[in-house]
Amino acid sequence: MAGFSELVKTFEKTKGYIRDFFICGFRIRGDFQQKSSRTYDDERRRAESWLGGVLQYDDSVRGRQVFLSVDSSRIPENPLYQMYAAKSFTANDIRLHFLLLDLLADGEARSLNAVMELLVTEYGAEFDPQTVRGKLREYAAEGLLTAEKRGNAMFYRLTETEKVLRLRENPALAEAVRFFAADDAFGVIGAEMLHEAGLQNDIFLRKHNYIVHTLEDSILPVLLAAMEQKCTVTLRAYSARLDADDREGRAFEAVPMQIIGSLQTGRRYLAAYIPAEGRFHSFRLDYLGALRQGAVFPDYDRIYSEYLALSRRVYGVSFGAPQGGADAEPLRLTVRADTETEPFILQRLVREKRCGILTQERAGQYTLTFDVIDPNEIMHWAKTLIGRIVSVEGGTAALRERFADDIRRMQAMYGGAAHDDLP
Amino acid sequence: MTIFHEIYGAYYRITARLLRRGRITRQDIADVTAQEGFRDSMLFLPQKLIPQADGSDWGLLRETADGAFAPVTKHLPERPLTLLQRRWLRAKLADPKIRLFLTDAEYDAIEAALAETPPLFRPEQFRYPDQFSDGDCMTDPKYRAVFRIALHALRKGTAVLLEYRTQRGETQRQCCLPVAMEYSQKNDKFRLYCRRIRRGRLTGSTVFNLGRIRSIRMLRDAPENSQTRERFFAGLRCAEPVTVRVTDERSGLARFLMEFAAYEKHTERDTETGSCTVQIWYDRSDETELLIQLLSFGPVLEILSPPDFRQKAAERVAAQYALLFPEQPLPPDAE
Repeated sequence: MAGFSELVKTFEKTKGYIRDFFICGFRIRGDFQQKSSRTYDDERRRAESWLGGVLQYDDSVRGRQVFLSVDSSRIPENPLYQMYAAKSFTANDIRLHFLLLDLLADGEARSLNAVMELLVTEYGAEFDPQTVRGKLREYAAEGLLTAEKRGNAMFYRLTETEKVLRLRENPALAEAVRFFAADDAFGVIGAEMLHEAGLQNDIFLRKHNYIVHTLEDSILPVLLAAMEQKCTVTLRAYSARLDADDREGRAFEAVPMQIIGSLQTGRRYLAAYIPAEGRFHSFRLDYLGALRQGAVFPDYDRIYSEYLALSRRVYGVSFGAPQGGADAEPLRLTVRADTETEPFILQRLVREKRCGILTQERAGQYTLTFDVIDPNEIMHWAKTLIGRIVSVEGGTAALRERFADDIRRMQAMYGGAAHDDLP
Repeated sequence: MTIFHEIYGAYYRITARLLRRGRITRQDIADVTAQEGFRDSMLFLPQKLIPQADGSDWGLLRETADGAFAPVTKHLPERPLTLLQRRWLRAKLADPKIRLFLTDAEYDAIEAALAETPPLFRPEQFRYPDQFSDGDCMTDPKYRAVFRIALHALRKGTAVLLEYRTQRGETQRQCCLPVAMEYSQKNDKFRLYCRRIRRGRLTGSTVFNLGRIRSIRMLRDAPENSQTRERFFAGLRCAEPVTVRVTDERSGLARFLMEFAAYEKHTERDTETGSCTVQIWYDRSDETELLIQLLSFGPVLEILSPPDFRQKAAERVAAQYALLFPEQPLPPDAE
C-alpha cells in the first residue's frame, strides 16, 4: 500500500501496459519480464482501478491472464479515457486551482501581488510567490486565465467562456460533442467536456471503433504542431513485433507530413520525410516515443508537394518498393461479379477500390488495375474477395506466387468443400 | 497546452462537484467519490478532502459546527473552456458531420466565438485510405432533416413512421421506435437501430441506413419500451462465438490482434507453437463482414468453429482454388 498511487506522473510508461492488456490479452505476469514484478503489480492495480468492470481475468494453465474485452461498438464511452483522468499533482496544485478560480471569479484582472494578498486575507493561504506566479503563467498557457501586461506587471483574469460554447446552455452543441467524443483522434477532449458539464453520451454508438487509438492522443499534438509550423521532429521508433524486446528503438529526425489511419486494420501511421536518407517513411504511431519538435525545415513546401504527388501511387502506407520489386508492374485483379444476382460485389469494388481503375472485362467479370509503388499492400484486401478472384496479373512474381501458394494452403486447410453456390 | 493535465482529472472533477454543493457530509464525499472516481479512489481521496489534524488535507473544506463540511471558497467553481478544448471545437467545425447537429445560425455563432482560436488540427492532416467512397452525404438538406428528426425522436423516446428504400430499390414504410444511432467511419454512414412496431406493439429489431430513409415523421403514441439497450443489443448477438487459430507467420498474430481489437474476444496462447486460439463474439448481421475479414489473413488464420461458419469459409476457398487451378485436382486434406 505504501507508495502506491492510482495517479501517474507520465503517460507513456503506463500506456504500454494498457496496450498489452487490451491488444494481446494473453499475457501473464511472467511475460512482462522487462520490468520488475512490483512494477507489473502496480501497473496492473492501477489498470484495475481505472478500468473497473471492463478488465477481465482468466486462470489459464500458464497463469492468470488479465485482459480487456469489450465490444467497442456497444459502449457509450471509451473506457481507456480514464487514463487521461489520472494525472498526478501536488497538494499545492489542487489548492491553488480552486482558490485561484474562486478569487478571480468576479472577472477582475489582478496582478501577482493582488492575488498573493487575497490568498492570505480571504483564504488564510500562504504560498511562495514563485509557486503562484508559475501557476498563473501555466493557467494562462492552458487558456484558463487571460494575461495582459499593464506597465511592468502582468495582470490575470479568468477567461470568459461564451454562452454559445457552454454545453449546458447550448443543447445542440452538447449533442455534437456527445457524438464527437468517440472520435479516434482527440475524442477524449469531448468526453472530458461532457464530464465537466455533468453530461454523458446515451445515444451514439461507433462501429469499427478502435478505442486503443486514444493512447496516441498524447503524442499527436507534437506531430500536428510540427506539421503546422513546418518543423522537424526527433523521435524513437520501436519494433512492432509482438515478442520484440526493443527497449532502445531507433532514433530518427523526421519531417511529419500526415497521419494515415487504416479503418480496416486499426493501424495508424505517421507519414514523414527522413532528410538524412532522402526518402519518405511511415512509422507506426503506437510504437513511437521520445518525440520532440525540432527546427523549421526550410524545404517543407517542396517536400510536401512531392509527398502529395507520391501519395497518389500509395495504396496504403508503403512509400517503398517491395524487396526485389523495384520494377513492379501495375497489378491487375480480375473478379467474378454477376450484377444480376449479386450486385453488392460490384458495389464493393466501386467503393473499396481506392486508387484502382475499374473496367469491365466481359459480362460478370471486372478488372481492377492498381499502378502503385508497393502492390503487396493490396493483397490483404484482395483476399476478402476469395472465391471470386479469376486472376492476379502483374505486380511482382513473388506476389503472384505467394497468392497462389496461399490458396493452395488454404484449400489444404479447409478440405475440398463443394463450391457451386457461394452464399 | 497538454491533454494529460490534472485539471482534466477525476480528483479535480470530484472536488469541484463537492464544492458546488455547499454544505456536505462524510457520506456525500464517499458517494461522489464512489460515483465519479476510480475503483480505489475511496482509499486516497476522502482523507485529502476532509480536514485533518496534521494539516495533510488540501485545505479546501472546513468543518462546521454540526460536524459537516463547507467549502473555503465563496463562489461555485466554474472552470472556463481551456485553450485545448476551444481548439478542438474549432477543428470540429471543419467536419461536415457537425452540420447535422447545428442549424446554420448556430454554426455561425460558434464559429464567430472561436474566430480567434486556431484549430487543433486540420482535416488534411489525416488521411484514411480505406474509407469507403460511397459515404452518406452529410451536407444534403434532406439528409440533415432526417437526421434531426431521428435524433429528436431518440432524445424524446418517441416512435416514428419512416419511408425508406430497400436494397432492391423498393419503397417501404415502417413504424418503429428508435433505440440508438450508430456511425461507422469506415463506411462513413449513420445507421438507426430501432424496435419495430406492429399493431401497436413492439416486436423485433431492425436497423436502417440513414441514407436510405426518404422521409421520417414523429408519432404521437408509442408503446412503452421496457427493454434496456443492453438487452436489445444482446438479442442481436451470435449464438456461439467464432473460434480461430492464428499463427505468427508474417507477424500474423500482431496484425490479427490489432485488426480485431474492436471485437469482444478471448485469446489463449499456446507457448509451444506460439499460435493463439481466439474466440470472437459478433452481431449476426455482421457475419459476412467477419467471414471475409478472417479470410483476408490467408493461411496464417484457420477458422475452427462453429462448423457452419467454417463451412462457409471452406466453400469460398474451394471456389477460389477452382478458379485459380481449374486443371488441377484438389490437394489432399492436410488434416
